[in-house]
Amino acid sequence: MDSLLKLKNVNLKYQTGNDTIKVLKNINLETKKNESISIVGESGSGKTSLIMLAGGLEKVTSGKIFFEDQEISKMSEDEVSKIRRKNIGIVFQSFYLIPNYTAVENVALTLELNNLKNPNERAKELLDRFGLKNRFNNLPSQLSGGEQQRVAIARAIAMKPKLILADEPTGNLDSENSQMIADILFKYIKEEKSSLIMVTHDPKLANRAKRKIKIKDGKIV
Amino acid sequence: MEKLSKLSEYKLTLIYALRDLSRNYKKISSIILTLFISLFILSSIFTIEDSLNKELNNNSRALLGGDIEIDYNRNIVNLDLINQVKEFATVSQMVEFSTMISTTDKTKNKSIFSRIKTVDKNYPLFGKVGYEPSGAFEKLQTTENTILVNENIFKNLNLKINDKIKVQDKLFTVIGIVKSVPDIGGAFVFGDFALAGKQTLELLKLNNLGSFLNYEYKVRFNEGDNPKALSKKIEQLFKDEKKVRLRYHEKSDGPLKRIIDNFSQFLSLVSISAMLIAGIGIANTLLSFINQNNMSIAVKKSLGFFSKDIKIVYYLQLLILLFVISTAAYSFSFFLVPIVDVYLSAGLGLNIEGSFSILNYFKVFSVGLLVLIIFSIPTINAIDQVKASNLFRNVFQNLQFYYSKKSIFLSLFLLSVLISLFTIGSARPIYSLGYFGAFFICLLVFYLLSNLIIKLFKGLKEHPNISIKVSVKNITQTKSITPITIMSLGLGVTLLLTLAFVGSNFKREIAKSIPELAPDYFFIGIQSDERQIFEDLIFDMDKEANLEIVPMVSTGIVKINGIDPKTYTASSNDSNWAIRNDRRSSWTDKVLKDNPIVEGKWWDLSRPDKLQISLDSKVAKDLNIKIGDIFTLNIYGREIEGEIINFRLVDYRDFTINFAMLLNPQFAKNIPHEYLATAKFKSLENFNEITLLDKMPSLSIIKITDYLEKVTDLLNKVFIAVTVISAITIVIGLIVISSAIIVQGKIKEFQNLIFKILGFSKVEVVLSSIIEFFIIFTSIILIALFFAVIGSQFIIENIFQITWMFDLAIFLKVTIGIGLATLVLIMITNFKYLSPKVYPLIRNQ
Repeated sequence: MDSLLKLKNVNLKYQTGNDTIKVLKNINLETKKNESISIVGESGSGKTSLIMLAGGLEKVTSGKIFFEDQEISKMSEDEVSKIRRKNIGIVFQSFYLIPNYTAVENVALTLELNNLKNPNERAKELLDRFGLKNRFNNLPSQLSGGEQQRVAIARAIAMKPKLILADEPTGNLDSENSQMIADILFKYIKEEKSSLIMVTHDPKLANRAKRKIKIKDGKIV
Repeated sequence: MEKLSKLSEYKLTLIYALRDLSRNYKKISSIILTLFISLFILSSIFTIEDSLNKELNNNSRALLGGDIEIDYNRNIVNLDLINQVKEFATVSQMVEFSTMISTTDKTKNKSIFSRIKTVDKNYPLFGKVGYEPSGAFEKLQTTENTILVNENIFKNLNLKINDKIKVQDKLFTVIGIVKSVPDIGGAFVFGDFALAGKQTLELLKLNNLGSFLNYEYKVRFNEGDNPKALSKKIEQLFKDEKKVRLRYHEKSDGPLKRIIDNFSQFLSLVSISAMLIAGIGIANTLLSFINQNNMSIAVKKSLGFFSKDIKIVYYLQLLILLFVISTAAYSFSFFLVPIVDVYLSAGLGLNIEGSFSILNYFKVFSVGLLVLIIFSIPTINAIDQVKASNLFRNVFQNLQFYYSKKSIFLSLFLLSVLISLFTIGSARPIYSLGYFGAFFICLLVFYLLSNLIIKLFKGLKEHPNISIKVSVKNITQTKSITPITIMSLGLGVTLLLTLAFVGSNFKREIAKSIPELAPDYFFIGIQSDERQIFEDLIFDMDKEANLEIVPMVSTGIVKINGIDPKTYTASSNDSNWAIRNDRRSSWTDKVLKDNPIVEGKWWDLSRPDKLQISLDSKVAKDLNIKIGDIFTLNIYGREIEGEIINFRLVDYRDFTINFAMLLNPQFAKNIPHEYLATAKFKSLENFNEITLLDKMPSLSIIKITDYLEKVTDLLNKVFIAVTVISAITIVIGLIVISSAIIVQGKIKEFQNLIFKILGFSKVEVVLSSIIEFFIIFTSIILIALFFAVIGSQFIIENIFQITWMFDLAIFLKVTIGIGLATLVLIMITNFKYLSPKVYPLIRNQ
């Protein structure tokens, strides 16, 4: 069984007042294990909506989404959460670290959520690997953008998820930090044989993925 | 990877809660403060009430003066029955009467109206009499013509031990000072008193009406005897004695207990209002806190946390907070006990000690928990609205209170538990229930008002002024906080106005000078053959004295329309006093100026041989007496039927002669009677009470100013308590208002940032806030005033039983005061949002 994530005839609509906006139209996409996909497209084309659906963070209007043959599109919020906490790591453009948690606590949170023993030690190991040994007890506000994103990636991969969803992971970073973050992400999926779905505007980064998908007006082209 | 055990999972949840709490406590400082203040008030009331009840229960026998009290009041005692009781129990006789005590020193002559208790050698059956010097109390029974006076008489008459004083026409030696007597529960009186031996009655030959002799017999059962069986035996013995009232120590329903119960109930209701208002503040602050953590919650959800788990962490934080705060509040309440003890020991002779009660702590914790859960349900449920997908869009909607059907049902259930807690077991459950009803009606009205305002302003045409435009937009915008602000502010202002009106009515009662018409003195006990002597003496002193003399006879109501007055109405009826015991009645042939007829006709002169009765209209209303009803009166042992023919409006507070019942003079003039008089002197210096007492030793003189001072002293103490509670409620109210503004904080900050970018001046932004406040504040004032008038009138007239009057000055002062305080608070709270830093907001920090 090679299929990790499968989107079948997926449609997404938003209702704003009397208007209906069709965000995604009849999307069919399959992600294999150990595959990296980059999603490119213009602003408002539906890229981010696509990975929101992939992560089970938004409900489809119609169509089906399967994660390892389990249909997550008909699951409850809590049921999807159960799958996500073990199998899916998400990296955001704006990092979204919990502001009053230290770097270690932010990473340990995922491990604690999954009831793993010694979460702090494991979090420290990861941060150490990402060159943040001296930043264990710093709050996010005391870290640079690149450091914050490394903590966010450490948090996302702490549970060794099968799928990483990244929304413009380097969008807020300079070229040096962008390079470092990209290296970390691609190294991880190679080592752990995970999959990556990444939204990006950066053509260089998009080209590092095995497969590149372009979205226009809510459709894969 | 190794997994945690279930226990470790719980531990982890607790660690999360503790960690979040330790890092966020500053953000929720207003929750901590309001919760502490409101729980402190509640704890203090519970602790003091508990201490008082313990004191009353532990000393119930001492407070009553025996296991049972046989109260003959002013009726003839059946000594045979008393002697039968003496066969199986110890009996102590106590006769009380009011009279004048005066000094004998011609150069510094003074007199004072006092209550004298004559006691036998068995007194007190329980408890101790506090007196000095030692041996004085024992001497009272062995040496004739000796007396112990209280400290106030001793001080005011400039007495020394072994000085002589005059009681009526007899000389007594002051052998000591009585500091306290134990039996104050049954017939609590404030005022001056003295203790004398049993033989005093025979010495003074007291038998006249003006002496108001009151006969009480206290009974103590022998050790080892069955108290229940003996109580039954006494009940059997006295079953045919209609004028006897039996009181039992375990049923402490005496005046003292009633005063304490009524006051406790008032304070409890105010404290629960403070708690409920604090609850609104807590809900607001918590919502603001959750809004600040909006992103963290979204992140946790994106990591796979269940909404339920996140909510549990918040509830756990509140629980930890409540445990710490309720423990602190309950502990601090014990510091108040010694302060209250000083007041109580001076005023009532009660000594209270704070004692820890796990039940009281549990009650405080439970009330706190109920309020916290009721108000945090819609707030913490707002967590369900947070979406992890918001993290992709960088948009965080300000969260709103969220009600599901389940949460509404749970809130209502918990609310009814809270109401039941305060209603069941309170002195007057109906009042408590009515109070809660009024509170929630008030809340609903303010909610409807907010909707009305939003609707009205939505329909208005746009105003060209940008500040007005912004303020109207703020009020009417989707998910506006106008309803929260109006409800918090409305309830706060209503409660403050209510307490202010209660306080001002007290203050007026205290500050009320003697009415102009009021006499300077009351004279009681003028015998029919002394009337002329009395008149001559008064006019000798002051020719221009305004003297009013009325006849007076003792009348006991035996039946009302054939029904025993004891069973006619509940003892809690406001006018039960009028039918309970014998009362003095008078007669006059002309309608009194200050006693106008409100229903019926004046005397029917065609029926001079029939007894006709004119009744106080309030008494008639309370007892549901109608014109034409028949009262059977006992006058000098004869039962006479009289018809009620009119009702009069009687204001006992004008200090003129007022009677609940007036009789038709054609019928009454032949009844043996004495006189009651009032006198207003041209110059008070002309009046010499000692000369009067020399000639008329059995006369009792009451100086109105002395009487007022005593009432004022008591009311002042009550006023202090009301003022303290009002002040605390004001603080809670302002914190709640500030919390309502903080809820807007994040929106305001973003909004002001946009305004800044667009080029708004600070003045325009400030002005829009002022206009917004003005619209909201003026809209709630009239409704708050309406509820405050009804509420305060109810409290003043029903609980404290004094006259209520509207005070425009206090309304304006409080309204302007609250308005300014709130506006300043709004300005201060908004100030930090006035100059938002652009960089962190743009960078989503």
